[in-house]
Amino acid sequence: MNATSEVVLPPPRIGPRRRIAIDVAASLNLIGALGKYLGLAALLPIAVAVWYGESIWPFAAAGLITSGLGLALERATAHTSGRVGAREGFLVVSATWLLAAAFGAMPYVFSGSDQLGHPLDAYFEAMSGFTTTGASVVTDFEDLSRSLAMWRQFTQWLGGMGIIVLALAVLPRLRVGGRQLLESELPGPEIDQLSERIRSTARRLWVLYAGLTALEALALSTLGWLGLDERMTPYQAVAHAFTTMPTGGFSTQARSIEAFAAASQWVIVLFMALAGANFALLYRAFVRRRPEALARDEEFRLYLVLLAVAGAALVAQVWSYGIAEGEDAFRSGIFQAVSIMTTTGYASADFALWPVLCLLTLFALMFVGGSAGSTGGGIKVVRHLLLGKVLRRELDQTVSPEVVMPIRLHGTPVDERTLRAVAVFVLLYVGIWAGGAAVIAIDSAFGDVVVSPLDALAISATAVANVGPSFGATGPMGSYAELNEASKLTMIGLMWIGRLEIVPVIVLLTRHYWRT
Amino acid sequence: MIGAGQVGTTVVEALHVDHELTVLDTEPSRLSAVAYRYDVATFQGDGTSRRDLADAGIGSADLIIACTSRDEVNLVAGMFGRREAPRAKTIIRTSEMEYVDLWREGQLDVDFVVCSELETAHTISRTIGVPAARQTDVFAEGQVQIVEFDVEVGASRDVTGVPLRDAEFPRDSKVMAIIRRGETTLPRGDDVIEPGARIVVIGSPQAAQQWSALLAPGGAAVRDVVIFGAGRVGSAIARVLLDQDIGVRLIEASRERARVAAEAFPKARVFNATGFEPDFLERERIGQAQAGIFAMRDDTKNLYAASLAKVHGIPFTIAVAHEAVSLAAFDQAGIDVAVNPRTVTAEEIVRFAHDPRTQQVAMLEENRYEVLDVTTRESSRYIGTKFRDMPVHGALIGAIVRNGSAIFPHGDDVLQTGDRVIVFTEASNAPWVIEAL
Repeated sequence: MNATSEVVLPPPRIGPRRRIAIDVAASLNLIGALGKYLGLAALLPIAVAVWYGESIWPFAAAGLITSGLGLALERATAHTSGRVGAREGFLVVSATWLLAAAFGAMPYVFSGSDQLGHPLDAYFEAMSGFTTTGASVVTDFEDLSRSLAMWRQFTQWLGGMGIIVLALAVLPRLRVGGRQLLESELPGPEIDQLSERIRSTARRLWVLYAGLTALEALALSTLGWLGLDERMTPYQAVAHAFTTMPTGGFSTQARSIEAFAAASQWVIVLFMALAGANFALLYRAFVRRRPEALARDEEFRLYLVLLAVAGAALVAQVWSYGIAEGEDAFRSGIFQAVSIMTTTGYASADFALWPVLCLLTLFALMFVGGSAGSTGGGIKVVRHLLLGKVLRRELDQTVSPEVVMPIRLHGTPVDERTLRAVAVFVLLYVGIWAGGAAVIAIDSAFGDVVVSPLDALAISATAVANVGPSFGATGPMGSYAELNEASKLTMIGLMWIGRLEIVPVIVLLTRHYWRT
Repeated sequence: MIGAGQVGTTVVEALHVDHELTVLDTEPSRLSAVAYRYDVATFQGDGTSRRDLADAGIGSADLIIACTSRDEVNLVAGMFGRREAPRAKTIIRTSEMEYVDLWREGQLDVDFVVCSELETAHTISRTIGVPAARQTDVFAEGQVQIVEFDVEVGASRDVTGVPLRDAEFPRDSKVMAIIRRGETTLPRGDDVIEPGARIVVIGSPQAAQQWSALLAPGGAAVRDVVIFGAGRVGSAIARVLLDQDIGVRLIEASRERARVAAEAFPKARVFNATGFEPDFLERERIGQAQAGIFAMRDDTKNLYAASLAKVHGIPFTIAVAHEAVSLAAFDQAGIDVAVNPRTVTAEEIVRFAHDPRTQQVAMLEENRYEVLDVTTRESSRYIGTKFRDMPVHGALIGAIVRNGSAIFPHGDDVLQTGDRVIVFTEASNAPWVIEAL
């Protein structure tokens, strides 16, 4: 480095009119830098391929192409003096996620697999991976190589806590200005600051995330070693830990979690429930050893209540319909409730075959979602909580217009702007869900697969909430392979928008964003 | 003394007899007003100027009272006072709760901090505890209350219309004074309490509540209060009442202050309204509140809002009178209790500033009477005297505090060394009473 480089001031004169308000070069520079490092993620499947004696080339090529393009993009824009500010953040986050999915799709295409070889299917699978949705076009799981199957699982783990959050946590200083990037990517209306600096917040979240993943892998493989679950090999334990903690839902098994023993299913229920909780809260409770923080957190309390109510309702339905009895009924009711509400998308039973009442219950749970600051998607518990409080205040103010009632969360007043943002988010969410369902329903009229109106609504809901399975042929044991291309594209868009919590993407569609 | 405003003047009035006072103020007219009425030295100067303070003789003072209406001046004067006269006691007046908290935590190097808003709130909360009362004061950590009542026509026949020696008073209580048409007398056995009179009663808190029930039958404990105005005074009152689990509704005309109050008091219901619209008062059933407290900045608004609230049915009204002259007007208009923040502040300052043995004093009847809390000395000539044998010198012992607990003495009880004696006396007699005990 040249420490004595001079700052050259431009000559003082009025330049030509500049119409674009976004520093595109700086944004591309950051996207390039992110891509350069993202390519390194291919090292893990390469290691798996070497271990099992499979071909490393699909992954090596994808990694090299991604890192190479990233490096080239970074070099090409290296001259820029601009910084990525709050405004560029939206563009960087949105574009990075589209490109990450492209990177994720390359190994599927290069491996020449029959079911994932088509670029659209590969892109669908990769987007479903990075956004931790878990919707799949794979039909024959035996056909996937071990390294490719592990890559599928790993993309979910990378996407869970956020690619950019990960970059902030582990990479050398990026040219990033402030918290905008972190906030666009982390789920929930506001981030809970664990420490003053963004970088250490990101690092703490990732350490906790990685720690919990390791703990789950250890717990599951211990069950395998103890002989409680013969199919739970260390490979399967790691593969499913990779998709539980990000509330992803991909499985290496055609029968999802039904393939494993009851003990493993209960362990997975516990970790799904943890993954749907606020990580900053978990950090405070477990790492800083202040468990009373859990009891004080209004969102966490409501989250537990909702999980309990949903679980009890499904257990009652499963038992009374005679689908299962005893421990089996408890397990399948609670497993499905936790899996769908936290937007994981695992299944321990083919719920697509359940009666309509059960389907409607699961459908409703897709709109709950995890907690703010969790890896779960959906509307999120805290937004329901705040919206409920706003609703109650509106009713009160109908009777007494003069009454002044600040909305409180954990006892602290919530800014009115935040409340407006919550209301706008829910409106946009419902609008986008309805729009997506309409496109899928119309498109199904031209295709071979029978998609009922409820299925269309469920497919749209499951995509935007990043859950994964829906009902009918696209249920947990089915696949999205037969859908028309337009429906698949719609789902890709819904997953992308849903993972980034809508606003960062929608903002890009406004004229004001681009122009001065 | 720094500050010769309303608080300062009231303090001067209480202290000038047995203290050598020097009063400092920037305003010559205020100084001359004080100097004409009381025998005190005055000095024109700035309380924040170290030189002015030194010139006024702060270095030789035993007691420094900074009671201007500006916190900053009081704080700076207190600080210089501590520097110039390290052994003098320092009292500062403030209007920020924050400074009171700081002082309690030991972060503020003064001996006593008085907050007008807090004192006003405490005065009002005591009045609410005894709804028939016009004024209340507490002594001995709340074990002894002195309450001033208006005797209404509907009052119980147990205590009115019969000679005092035949009346059935609540236990642990004593009538200390009867005020008829502005004339105060210390009661004797053959005196009769008639409706229309005003009486001063000393007793335990339970007895004070029983008196309230006797004099205003049907009055229940207050659980639902409306406060008009959520400024500093109104917020301080709300805080004190909410701490006692009393339901509070706050009405504030300023949107911003209403928001601040709503955020500060989750348990209170806050309205952004002037409190003058009949529609609003009707719709929110303001008239159903048991008591209304009027703590807006403007006395005329307090008076009008209180009258309007009475019309809407609030039975008991307490109004803050920022100007001393408003007290009489409020009384005339039928407001049940009027509180002047400056008077209660001055009282609190005087309590602390009085004789070191005197723990607290209250001032009644526009400061013509004082309640003293004196600890008896060994050399007092009344040690060992039965209460029935005590001479009457325009003073009356209402209660004694012995070993930490309050006793309401009967004729056969005997005064002992070290007793804390609560005495009701004419202000002019106070130095003599302190001397004799």
